Amino acid sequence: MAKLLMIREQIKSFYSRYEGFCRPVLKFLLAFLALTMINKSIGYAAVLGNPAVVLVIALFCSFFPTNFVVVVSTLVILLHLYAVSLETVVTAGILFMLMFLLYFRFAAKDTILLVMTPLCFILKIPYVVPLCAGLVGSPTSMISTGCGVVTYYLLQYISGNRTALLTSEDDPIFQLEKFRMLIDALMKNRQMMVVIAAFAITILVVYLIRRLPVDHCWTIAMITGMLVDIVVILVGDLKYQTMVEIPALIIGSLLALAVGLVLQFFVFNVDYTRTEKVQFEDDEYYYYVKAIPKNTVSLADRKVKKIKGQTGTSQATGSDSSRRSALTAAKGSRDAQEYRVRRTAATKEREVVRSSHNSTKRIIMPEDVAGSRRERLTEIEKAAAAKARAERKKNNSGTE
Amino acid sequence: MLNEARVKLMTRMAAFEVGEGKRSMAIGTFFRSDYIAKEIIKSIIYGTIAFGLILGVYLVYEFEMFMANLYEINWLDFGQMLLKRYLIGIGIYALITYIVYVVRYSRARRNLQIYYNNLRRLRAMYKKEAAQEKLTEE
Repeated sequence: MAKLLMIREQIKSFYSRYEGFCRPVLKFLLAFLALTMINKSIGYAAVLGNPAVVLVIALFCSFFPTNFVVVVSTLVILLHLYAVSLETVVTAGILFMLMFLLYFRFAAKDTILLVMTPLCFILKIPYVVPLCAGLVGSPTSMISTGCGVVTYYLLQYISGNRTALLTSEDDPIFQLEKFRMLIDALMKNRQMMVVIAAFAITILVVYLIRRLPVDHCWTIAMITGMLVDIVVILVGDLKYQTMVEIPALIIGSLLALAVGLVLQFFVFNVDYTRTEKVQFEDDEYYYYVKAIPKNTVSLADRKVKKIKGQTGTSQATGSDSSRRSALTAAKGSRDAQEYRVRRTAATKEREVVRSSHNSTKRIIMPEDVAGSRRERLTEIEKAAAAKARAERKKNNSGTE
Repeated sequence: MLNEARVKLMTRMAAFEVGEGKRSMAIGTFFRSDYIAKEIIKSIIYGTIAFGLILGVYLVYEFEMFMANLYEINWLDFGQMLLKRYLIGIGIYALITYIVYVVRYSRARRNLQIYYNNLRRLRAMYKKEAAQEKLTEE
């Protein structure tokens, strides 16, 4: 655990120091992952499937705010769908427009969940989303997650029914039929509705429990949230026959719990304060200030000191080393002598009495006598030091 | 001469100006009623566009039914029903907007209050420093 805490502190320290580089790299990775997953699931436009194009777009995203990743992902999805048929792109476009017009203008910070939710579904870890959103988000994350679930199910339907949706005829009735298919896929998909309800309830439960003033509230919130998620999905399955794979649900939920614990370790009670670089001026100066956050837990700065044998490492000759050791011994004996003189002088002046009630040794030195004694003590010390100095001088002259 | 306490205060204020303060200052330029009214009007416009999109999707989805019953449908009733739903939807949306932006406005005002207090402290520091300099000159 101590090692883990150390790793966390190191990560925090690294992030706060190199925050300027870390954020673009993280945005690049997010954009790259999102675009790769989109290409993998609905990669119908060959141009966008090119890895070089993906890399360039991801690199472009790293210079912009995080929400730009969402906008770019949405545009890429629409371009892929355009390769399928006009109806699909119109339906998906209307859906995204409704989301942005009605909801994401209020909660711009939550927009990232629109990308993260389908991404987690594709990575087979969908139950991570409600737990994490409840832990680090707010109740409004329910809506963002719901939008993400709708996006995933729409894309899944399109990739599963591509042949039926492909542009083959220009007959308006056939086009209308395709449009209806897509709307039905959204409105009559019971599995999607059950997942949206389960995720919404889970987020709410996790959020409410993790805010309770009790010990281990985050852990309790995660376990309760996981159970609630499983129960709601199973009840929905029983009622609407959504054909949920129960082993996958349980394994996925346990995996979500594990991810939640990792998140708890890295987020709970940790302040990822950023390094601030600010500029300002007054009448006299221009200030270019870099404010670096203080680390609360000091890291163990380990230094390995190699102690090698005297014979193996010493470059000096035998006579040199013996002379040096003799000098050191002489100096040691002189110091020891001086120390002994000081010590005896000090002990003579101290009254040591045994305390009656706890039988510990105490040095009693009343305040009124302490001053005079201290003066006397310093006088004795001075005399002892002078004596030792004289002896040392005598010794030195002897050796010369 | 550099005053350490003043530099700290100025750094904190500059960090606020660059980050959250930017939005708070933009909000702070409005009166409460103006700001909330502006956002509600924006919401009504966006809500109307969204309602139009949903209506368009509904009409296309039920296009065959509308064509088949073109002369049997009471279009006045249909229009009234649509208007009623539109008004209810927009009303709810405007209410949500009102609540959200009242909270945001009060939060921004609180942040600005702290910022203005810091400004006052800074001015006091400058005054004190100027007075000390004057004394040393005398």
